[in-house]
Amino acid sequence: MLSSLRTGIKGLWRVPARSLQTSSVLQHDSLFVHRDTPEDNVNTPFEFSEANKKRIDALLAIYPEGHKRGAMIPILDLAQRQNGGWLPLSAMHKVAEILNLPRMRVYEVATFYTMFIRRPVGKYHLQVCTTTPCWLRGSDAILKAIVEDTKCEVGGNSPCGKFSVSEVECLGACVNAPMLQVNDDYYEDLTVEDTKEIIAKFKKDEKPVPGPRSGRYASEPLGGLTSLTEPPTGPGFGVQDCFKA
Amino acid sequence: MLRQPLCRALALSSPARAVPLASRSYSNPVPAEPEKVEVFINDKPVYVAPGTTVLQAAAQVGVEIPRFCYHERLAVAGNCRMCLVEVERSPKPVAACAMPVMKGMRVKTDSDLTRKAREGVMEFLLVNHPLDCPICDQGGECDLQDQSMAFGSDRSRFTDVHFSGKRAVEDKDIGPLIKTIMTRCIHCTRCIRFASEVAGVDDFGTTGRGTDMQVGTYVEKMLLSELSGNVIDLCPVGALTSKPYSFAARPWETRRIDSVDVLDPLGSNIVVTTRTNEVLRILPRTNEEINEEWLSDKSRFACDGLKRQRLVTPMMTDSRGNLMPVDWEDAIVAAARALRDCPPNKLLAVAGDMADAESLVALKDLVNRLGSENTCTEQYFPLDGAGIDLRSSYLCNTKIANVEDADFVLLIGTNVRFEAPLLNARIRKAYVHKDTDVALIGPKVDLTYDYMHVGDSASVVKISPRGPEGSALLAYTQELACKLQDKLQDKEWKVLNVLQRTASQVAALDLGYQPGVGKALQDGPKVVYLLGADSGVVSRDQLPKDAFVIYQGHHGDAGAAMADVVLPGAAYTEKRATFVNAEGRAQQTLVAVAPPGMAREDWKIIRALSEVIGERLPYDNLDEVRDRLSEISPALVAYGDVQENNYFAQARALAQSLQKPVSGKLDVQLKHLEDFFMTDTISRASPTMAKCIQAVLKQKDSPY
Amino acid sequence: MSSRSVRPMMSSDLCEARRRALGLYRAIYRYIPYVIKYYDIPKNIDQCRWMLRSYFYKHAYITDVRVIDMLIIKGYIELKELTHQWQSKHHVIRHWNPSIEPKCTSFIAKFIEGN
Repeated sequence: MLSSLRTGIKGLWRVPARSLQTSSVLQHDSLFVHRDTPEDNVNTPFEFSEANKKRIDALLAIYPEGHKRGAMIPILDLAQRQNGGWLPLSAMHKVAEILNLPRMRVYEVATFYTMFIRRPVGKYHLQVCTTTPCWLRGSDAILKAIVEDTKCEVGGNSPCGKFSVSEVECLGACVNAPMLQVNDDYYEDLTVEDTKEIIAKFKKDEKPVPGPRSGRYASEPLGGLTSLTEPPTGPGFGVQDCFKA
Repeated sequence: MLRQPLCRALALSSPARAVPLASRSYSNPVPAEPEKVEVFINDKPVYVAPGTTVLQAAAQVGVEIPRFCYHERLAVAGNCRMCLVEVERSPKPVAACAMPVMKGMRVKTDSDLTRKAREGVMEFLLVNHPLDCPICDQGGECDLQDQSMAFGSDRSRFTDVHFSGKRAVEDKDIGPLIKTIMTRCIHCTRCIRFASEVAGVDDFGTTGRGTDMQVGTYVEKMLLSELSGNVIDLCPVGALTSKPYSFAARPWETRRIDSVDVLDPLGSNIVVTTRTNEVLRILPRTNEEINEEWLSDKSRFACDGLKRQRLVTPMMTDSRGNLMPVDWEDAIVAAARALRDCPPNKLLAVAGDMADAESLVALKDLVNRLGSENTCTEQYFPLDGAGIDLRSSYLCNTKIANVEDADFVLLIGTNVRFEAPLLNARIRKAYVHKDTDVALIGPKVDLTYDYMHVGDSASVVKISPRGPEGSALLAYTQELACKLQDKLQDKEWKVLNVLQRTASQVAALDLGYQPGVGKALQDGPKVVYLLGADSGVVSRDQLPKDAFVIYQGHHGDAGAAMADVVLPGAAYTEKRATFVNAEGRAQQTLVAVAPPGMAREDWKIIRALSEVIGERLPYDNLDEVRDRLSEISPALVAYGDVQENNYFAQARALAQSLQKPVSGKLDVQLKHLEDFFMTDTISRASPTMAKCIQAVLKQKDSPY
Repeated sequence: MSSRSVRPMMSSDLCEARRRALGLYRAIYRYIPYVIKYYDIPKNIDQCRWMLRSYFYKHAYITDVRVIDMLIIKGYIELKELTHQWQSKHHVIRHWNPSIEPKCTSFIAKFIEGN
């Protein structure tokens, strides 16, 4: 009895013999092989619009003969924008056809970049940054609020089909953390209330004003400037007398 | 890569079945030899050309740097990092495979830093590699195994404390030949580079990035290539293994016998792997002159056809017309009686696709002794003009390796891709690396590279409008080749190349067989001796009702089905025999396994038959047969060598007398990949080849 | 070349060796009828004598006295084994190799055999 208790306690208090630190296996939320779905298969109709065709011609003209494949990323981006924010397989095929490349070369590029989304997404693609600076400033709460409000899982679409939510790595707005990207716009310095308000507006198909919600113009200090407060000095400031003309 | 349209080639257009024409540049200035730079590998000085990589420089002084992604015949990728070495005054270890040498560079391939770098790379690779060597087909011939033993650390920091498992990647289905276990992949990208550079099938690639990166096809797609099996050899780990060979044997329990492939006319060098008198697999053997280190899928995977549909016992038709097994004595006596009683002009011998030179010479000697001259091969070749009198008019005179140096290749009436896949790989190599232009006369086919299609009409071959109207296709090609030759500065370069389609044809023509059976069949032969003739050129309906057919060969196919007497012979893995490839290079196969059942070596059957007939052939062993071969042509026994042949002008002069119109359309038999897999008795008997055809047809229906 | 003088085994010169060889020959020759009788082998006296001769002729070219001596000793050992019935019937009949079939020499026979 006593001995078993002791082992139990020992087990509780046991210091790991090998102090191992591991991080969990990181895997992307999307697949890197193609699966035919009703929305996304080889027969999904895709054709560039006339306006985009002109844009493609302009893009292709930038690149010299023999290096036209350099236009792949901008053309894929055009295709994604035209198709409502995601890239179906048939669009990739179309791009391969335009650039006269094997299809695989297009698949490689489209899977490499996370900004090419290869699954159908809603009208508003909400991308929440959860990298360290945003996470320290409370991105977990923002993400929770979004998931609750839009009723969609991370990496999925909302039941109404209007929203998609993704957890993304640093979007480069750490000074304004936490932040959220909706399609092409950044909403920064968020609180949970701000987030709910933004989503409510999107639900009504109104567009909230992008930018910081804290009243800042950009990334200046929140409480006013703490340095560089006096007017800038003129030329010759601080220069040794002997060098002054 | 900038490619101009091939307009200038339009002026050249030309003829015969299977004629790749290769011509060298019109002016070939020799670039000045650049000054060599001195580098030090482990303090050993070595002089190398500028642009050489550290890895190649090290190889020159016999220092082998470990590598996974680097391969001599593929582009440098530099992504496995296994070849990291320390270079003096360099802050970090550098990747030897991608680093060009610089003057006075001091490389240390065995320093502490180098070793630590290798251990680190190896540890990272092994963290993401499953520990399934016991069930892995690559075990025993795995680069990762070998190099982790040689360069890896003896311990690992990888511990799966969360029991979350190692990296796992789903397997791909890329056809019936290659089995994929993608979890084992270390992303060396050799297969991707092979598919896109050598095979010309851009279906492989990497998808995703970082931890998620995987090698595959993204969509479900079979690797539609006739060279796909080579990725199995290229794969340094067990990610791509041979499906037919899976779980069959370990490399240390097999015997390896060097041999020569006979399923295409190139005579690729192979290693036959056997165990317990059974051919398990066939691997390529490096021969820079012929196959480099590649092998076509048919040559590699058709070996399971050697175990099926075999003729293992002599057979004779019984009273009801069914073939029944009999003893050798009975079969030989029956065949001998038929041959002896046959009037000489009614005797016909036909040699098939895979007949070796020894049996060919024995058969011809026997038939000649019986007073007949009717020895033919199944494959047709024009006899008019120079015909087969001059060796240079039926050989690949340029030699296979030199095709790489060609500036312009004109293919006439051939689909090289499937008739000689490795020759096509050479042309593709020239196309990719040397900007060689290719033009094709014949049906439009996919050659894996761009070419100018000059039409499929045979009349295109006439080069000048003033040329004599009408003469045979070959004559025109010879004419064209000679005219091109005159323009070349390099007078040694041979322009005319004839690609035969089968492994036996060149030896048969050397020995004096008549190409094609057409004329001989019209005479209504009484006795037909088929030496492995299975392509259906000779069939029962073409023969008189009472014709007696003797079939000698190794597979029960068209020939055996129509025979009255069947004499079981040995396949190419079961005999020591001579084959002459399309460029006229004699090579010999070696005995890997014993012939099955009562089958015998082919020349011995004919020799025994001759004795029973009473026309004893004067050779009792292989050396004596080969002496006889060298009497006819020393080239037939000069193993590994190619004799120079240079009688183009004479052939052209002989062809001048011909006045035949050239018309009609050129056609090829093997147009698509599915046609490629089954072309001879062995591959027709192979279940793997059948699966390939099914898979290819299925893939053609697939939208990808 | 220098010849090395060696110690003789039994015989000091060829003459003596010859005498010993003839002695062995006679001894076995005289014992042959008893071999046939005791061992019941299906051979007659002539055949046995022929076999004996063939063994001696097999070594006819040997000129080294020591080798001859050694062979003579082995011959006497053989004889002693016979006289003492230490050998059995199959040892004796083995001199004629009855179980080994003659090798085919003609091509066609070898062919039928499978070689």
